Amino acid sequence: MIITKTENNGVISLALAGRLDTVTSSLLANELDSLFEEKIEKLVLDFLKIDYMSSAGLRVIINAQKKVQSLGIKMEITNVHESIKSIFDITGFTKILTII
Amino acid sequence: MIRAEHLSKNFGTLEVLKEINVEIHKGEVISIIGPSGTGKSTFLRCLNLLEIPSGGKIFIDGVDIMNKNVDIPKLRRKMGMVFQSFNLFSHLSVLDNLTFGPVKLLGINKADAKKKALELLKMVGLAEKAYSFTDELSGGQKQRVAIARCLSMDPEIILFDEPTSALDPTMVSEVLAVIRRLAKEGMTMAIVTHEMDFARDVSNRVFYMDEGLIYEEGTPQQIFQNPVKEKTKAFIQRIRSFMYEINSPDFDLYAMNGEIQHFCEKHVLTKKMTNDVILIVEELLTAHKAQTDIFDINLTLSYSEKHDTLLITFESAGPECNILEADGDDNLSAIIISGLTENVEYQRTGDKNKLNMYLRKN
Repeated sequence: MIITKTENNGVISLALAGRLDTVTSSLLANELDSLFEEKIEKLVLDFLKIDYMSSAGLRVIINAQKKVQSLGIKMEITNVHESIKSIFDITGFTKILTII
Repeated sequence: MIRAEHLSKNFGTLEVLKEINVEIHKGEVISIIGPSGTGKSTFLRCLNLLEIPSGGKIFIDGVDIMNKNVDIPKLRRKMGMVFQSFNLFSHLSVLDNLTFGPVKLLGINKADAKKKALELLKMVGLAEKAYSFTDELSGGQKQRVAIARCLSMDPEIILFDEPTSALDPTMVSEVLAVIRRLAKEGMTMAIVTHEMDFARDVSNRVFYMDEGLIYEEGTPQQIFQNPVKEKTKAFIQRIRSFMYEINSPDFDLYAMNGEIQHFCEKHVLTKKMTNDVILIVEELLTAHKAQTDIFDINLTLSYSEKHDTLLITFESAGPECNILEADGDDNLSAIIISGLTENVEYQRTGDKNKLNMYLRKN
């Protein structure tokens, strides 16, 4: 998985590309851990180029959601493909996350 | 019509056919299936003496064709053969390919031979190609010409040696359609094929060849649904199933995914179905890993074309445990699996846990 980070006035955007699975999800987890040490207002996870996500990826996302809530940061997930959206739906995460 | 007794064939010290005893009756359609290198084509070629058997006897309409006094060319005329590689005359037009044999060998006058050739070309859907050269045709068209050429000699039986193996997948059906039509018209045929659905649909009997023998024979239902012998069972199972062993927690996930994808593509599953299967398997492994360090896992995917269903079987050695009910603290894997599958069943058999589930259709 490739993660491309951009920053604009306190808004951090991570454009993710590839698979978010057992093998790769730790890359995103590590990126997020280091990011939460910075002072940010909003986090955007761009899923445009994510075509596969397993529970390993979901766990990273839900942990990030818990973290942003505790830090008072907004988190949005954008450009989610239908196949990934159905995984969010099945697991009930659609209600917890802000998916745009 | 054809009877082989104790038929054997050696190539040097290699024993290809051991002891073939078989009878093919008029009007029967016989499919000959089995792994590569088990003598299927050699058996077929022995029947019309393209290969001379090392032992045994072959009778055609009661005549022993291995008797030195027999008029072999005359007997061969009773048997047409269609080859994998077409074997057409590339320097002749399609029409001339069909009239050459009847005129030269059967003594039919050119006008009658042409009339019949045109009828046969119409039958195989290639009347408009009569004056084309064979090199101008696609593989599927060439094979249909080869079948028409075979029919132009009025054979009593046609031997097909893997007639679709050299064809692009898009051209297989046009050739099989012609063979199906011949079967309906009552032509006696013996067909070496890897097209299992075709073999199941078109045949009266199926010969499963292995170890240089007709290892098992029966109706398509017997061979494909209820094979009795071990090797037949394994062969039939392998055609429709994908099996993968996982013996280490550090197994190569992507290599496995690649093989699952290949299996799904082979059975023309949609991209979504393929993705779902890969996800289900990953979740099964995640749930398994959350419960135990023992990695002795057999994964099987079985696709039924008839019912358009995909059965996923996840069998693992270790203490009794249904990993879907004892998932980790968030239960995510079990939730995803439950959302993508139906009819999930857990069984404990011996020292193994077995989960069966069907991919949910959307």
